[in-house]
Amino acid sequence: MANVVIDPVTRIEGHLRVEVKVDNGVVTDAWASGGLYRGLETVLQGRAPADAFYVAQRICGVCPISHGHAATMAAEGALKIKIPNNARIIRNIIEGAEMLHSHVLWFYTLTALDYVDVVSALKANIADTYALAEKAGTSTADFGAIQSRIKGFVENGQLSIFTNNWFGHSAYKLPPELNLIAVAHYLEALSIQAEAAQIIAIMGGKFPHFMTSLPGGTAWYPTEEKLDGVLFHFNRVKEFVEKAMIPDTLAIAPFYLDATTYGKGVGNYLAWGVFEDKSMDPKKRYLPPGVISGSLTVADADPKKIKEYVEHSWYTQSETGLNPAQGKTHMAFTDYNLDKQYSWVKAPRYDEKPMEVGPLSRMLVAYLSGNEKVKAIIDGTLAKLGAAGKPEILMSLLGRVAARNLEALYVVGLMGDWIGELIAAVKEGDSSFFVESSETEGDGAGLWEAPRGALGHWMSVKGGKIANYQVVTPSTWDMSSRDAKGVRGPLEEALVGAPIADPEKPLEALRIVHSFDP
Amino acid sequence: MAQDARGEVYDLLAARGVSRRDFLKYCGSVAALLGLSEMYAPQIAAAVESGAKLKPVLWIAQGLCTGCTESMAQSRTPDVPTVVLDILSVNYWETVMASAGSDALKAITETVDKGGYILIVEGSIMNGANGNTLRVGGRPGREDVKEAAKNADAIIAVGSCAVDGGWVKAAPNPAGATGVSEYLASVGISKPIINLPTCPVNPEWIVAMIVDVLLVGKLPALDSKGRPTLIYGSTIHDNCPRRGHFENGEFVEKFGTVEEKKQFCLYKVGCKGPQTYTNCPYVRWNDRVSWCVESGSPCIGCGNFNWVDNDAPFLTRTSNVKLPGIGGVAPSTVGAVLGGAAAVALGVHAVVSGTQGRVGKGGPPETEKAYDRKKAAKGGDK
Amino acid sequence: MSGHGHYREAHPLPLMLSHWSNLISMIVLVFTGFYIHFPFFAGFMGAARSLHFFFMYLLLVTITARIIMAFTVKDTNQMGTKDRDWDWKNWIPQAENRHQLIETAKYYLFMRKEHVISAKNGALQKIAYLATIPLTYAIAYAGFAIYTPAHQWGIWPFFEAGLTAVGGDMNMRIIHYFLMWAIILFTMIHVYLANIYGVAPTKLMFFWIETEDPHDRYHQ
Repeated sequence: MANVVIDPVTRIEGHLRVEVKVDNGVVTDAWASGGLYRGLETVLQGRAPADAFYVAQRICGVCPISHGHAATMAAEGALKIKIPNNARIIRNIIEGAEMLHSHVLWFYTLTALDYVDVVSALKANIADTYALAEKAGTSTADFGAIQSRIKGFVENGQLSIFTNNWFGHSAYKLPPELNLIAVAHYLEALSIQAEAAQIIAIMGGKFPHFMTSLPGGTAWYPTEEKLDGVLFHFNRVKEFVEKAMIPDTLAIAPFYLDATTYGKGVGNYLAWGVFEDKSMDPKKRYLPPGVISGSLTVADADPKKIKEYVEHSWYTQSETGLNPAQGKTHMAFTDYNLDKQYSWVKAPRYDEKPMEVGPLSRMLVAYLSGNEKVKAIIDGTLAKLGAAGKPEILMSLLGRVAARNLEALYVVGLMGDWIGELIAAVKEGDSSFFVESSETEGDGAGLWEAPRGALGHWMSVKGGKIANYQVVTPSTWDMSSRDAKGVRGPLEEALVGAPIADPEKPLEALRIVHSFDP
Repeated sequence: MAQDARGEVYDLLAARGVSRRDFLKYCGSVAALLGLSEMYAPQIAAAVESGAKLKPVLWIAQGLCTGCTESMAQSRTPDVPTVVLDILSVNYWETVMASAGSDALKAITETVDKGGYILIVEGSIMNGANGNTLRVGGRPGREDVKEAAKNADAIIAVGSCAVDGGWVKAAPNPAGATGVSEYLASVGISKPIINLPTCPVNPEWIVAMIVDVLLVGKLPALDSKGRPTLIYGSTIHDNCPRRGHFENGEFVEKFGTVEEKKQFCLYKVGCKGPQTYTNCPYVRWNDRVSWCVESGSPCIGCGNFNWVDNDAPFLTRTSNVKLPGIGGVAPSTVGAVLGGAAAVALGVHAVVSGTQGRVGKGGPPETEKAYDRKKAAKGGDK
Repeated sequence: MSGHGHYREAHPLPLMLSHWSNLISMIVLVFTGFYIHFPFFAGFMGAARSLHFFFMYLLLVTITARIIMAFTVKDTNQMGTKDRDWDWKNWIPQAENRHQLIETAKYYLFMRKEHVISAKNGALQKIAYLATIPLTYAIAYAGFAIYTPAHQWGIWPFFEAGLTAVGGDMNMRIIHYFLMWAIILFTMIHVYLANIYGVAPTKLMFFWIETEDPHDRYHQ
């Protein structure tokens, strides 16, 4: 039969087409095609190094903080700047706020509708719903009002964002009461993600696209009033993550345990690490860098081992197999042809292997590197799901989903610490926030993490101007096209083996795509 | 008639869990947003309620970063569920819609066929590689905009990318980006377009425009570039809370210093507020908690046309001038070099004049004016 | 400087006063302009802007008045005579000195030894002086185009068209800045050439002090 196509994949950032071959209800081959090329790397050539911070973050409207920080770190590397401690803490808080924002938004707004049947919530018994919420330890809402809001909606016939939905699909497994709880939190999450963004707005001017983490430190000067605002919004987010998001995850997961059996993908994991510790040593980051390749051990991550291939993407074919520090990006559109070129996404390989990046990679690297807090969170969750001592079950669709929410829990804890650390530093009179540099030559790399995974910016500066710029985004790793040897990228590989109950509505495939937060 | 319609909308809103009180409160905040008194709340309510049906909206994503959608999600008063469930029927919005693939795209066709909708475009129109720098549904993404523009009541281009290509169009415009107005004109569709530049768009402006369209049934007052004068009528500089420090000549000389703590003016570190026309200083961002200048950063002029080329380098007062063979140079450098060169040339001239004995009295005059000599040769005055 | 007698009939009082006014306006405008472009010391911005606006209007009024004077004031514009004619003839090269353009340039470049005998103003000088008028209006136009209150004026479309043509406020700002440099360069050369061959012209232009001109002696 003809391939099953999802184009456009909705509820993602950007444009993606997924095409899968289905035999006897199981995916046997898959292709992921990135639909958009804008040429940021070319735009930045010849501009001032600091300008990269402002322009490069505009690659991604969901993760501008991470791109901004990576661009700034690349500039700081090139211009040999060591930022003040206050700037480090402030950046950590902004980055953490973005991660919380992103994870909440992803779980509820972007992927929840793959697991939660909104229409089924109409059948929920309100008293049972309260009882279930209490049992699951998750927060309650005016479930009756929410149910009648949905009812009015469905009966009116104007479905708005639920137009042509796939509700009623056999892969939806939750009981009506749990669906109703999830819908209530779906609505609440929209204000929580905005609360998280308000932390960034206070410290960075606005979100998306922030203003303050420029090369040299930060332009933000903390005052008591502003710190109060940060704490206020943070506490709202913290409460939601601890009292709704985590209990929801644990309540929903048991209905989808089959999702531990597929969606694993390449089984190689890469993290550059994120959240600097006082030493500014990347290895001591709160989420450390590392590579997991096929076994449950971590090796050091070395950016020199990256090569980007373009055999199956629309770029000048001779410019392939290059390390990003010397990378080139020149578009050369041919046609959409699965045997030749079919995507705007290049194929990065680490040590010639495709790598999955994202919260699962970060949490596995931290877990296997012996991070105590991460170990406690993961082991506790595994025990609750009846899989104590089996972290390998996380290498699956369900694991990828759960890792993101568990990471949010870990970051909530860190955020509280950093805010305290900043308040203490300011009280002690540390008033250094920004340093200048007179360097005009050098090479730098910002190896960092966006909420969706490992992110690298490479900058080369000559005569005070950007001579070369390259970016390898998390989506480039995860949505990678096939490489020179025809090896599938992580998303493509994860799709293979997935069950597809209804080829007209490939909901299971959509779940896998969403699990990467593309 | 109006009474009947109201009854119907009442039921509808009640069914959606919106109380009359909440609704009026919301209409009041919309009034404030439009620069009207809260006394207009009942009129706004009447306008929103005038049809039993929710206004359909198509939100079409082009060459974007999803930042404008993200920004819309940051709207708190009204919040997004109110906007997408109670005021509008957003039939297509890739980032939030439940549906996917061809089922999702079907919503565009269905809505276009019925007509009477608002089209919102986010992201640059991508023309590179014959439109293939953006592919949606197996064809150039710009085709969706062309199709959806046909029957739209109003078109809103949200964010600098949709307005004029934004940063994607910055030199050398590698992927062939342009704005919605320019694209639609190029394919022969002439429709009034509301342009809402800045990167990303401020969600309050979108809500204001939608309600304005619902309220008065036509487009708000626009300037010659399609921007609502209400929002883009004065510079950031003119409304800046730090303006007093500017006039006093009190400036932040370096980031993160005590001058910043005192909220001094950011002019010297490159603020583009003096040439950027938006109402950011009072509408602010993220439910009004802060905005760029308040956070200590100079405005980078993201609401300007062709903003990256016009405003970069962002931390200097002016953009660079491009000189052939040299590249971007600061205008003050060019000026200083010209002035210096002139001074040197005049100095050399003075020295040579001295050696020739001209200083103070000039060279010996010609004995006869060349004019007179020529005239004499021709036979004198006629 | 070009061999004209330095007597008052060459520069009647209104011309002397307008020259003063222009000079003061230019100095204040350039200084405050530099300050507004980049405030190099603290505490002067409000004053700088006010002065910039005041002297901008003064300069526009003076230069406009000066154009009117060209058609209403008579002065001598020929060598060796005190006969007077309309001042505008000093602005446009006349038949008797039009051909001296290249000869004068050669003289300044030391490619010619003898000083060209010309009218009150040489051909080169006339062109340079004439150019200051459109230059001044152009810089004012650019200034108004980047001045926010101008948006409220009835003739705003006139300025807006220019903004659109040059690609926005930033480019207009840079044009305004470069036009200022054009005026500075003109002034540098003007001051130099007016004084290098003797200060007699300056004495007359500023203080209305007459000097016997050596050239007149040559012709007696």
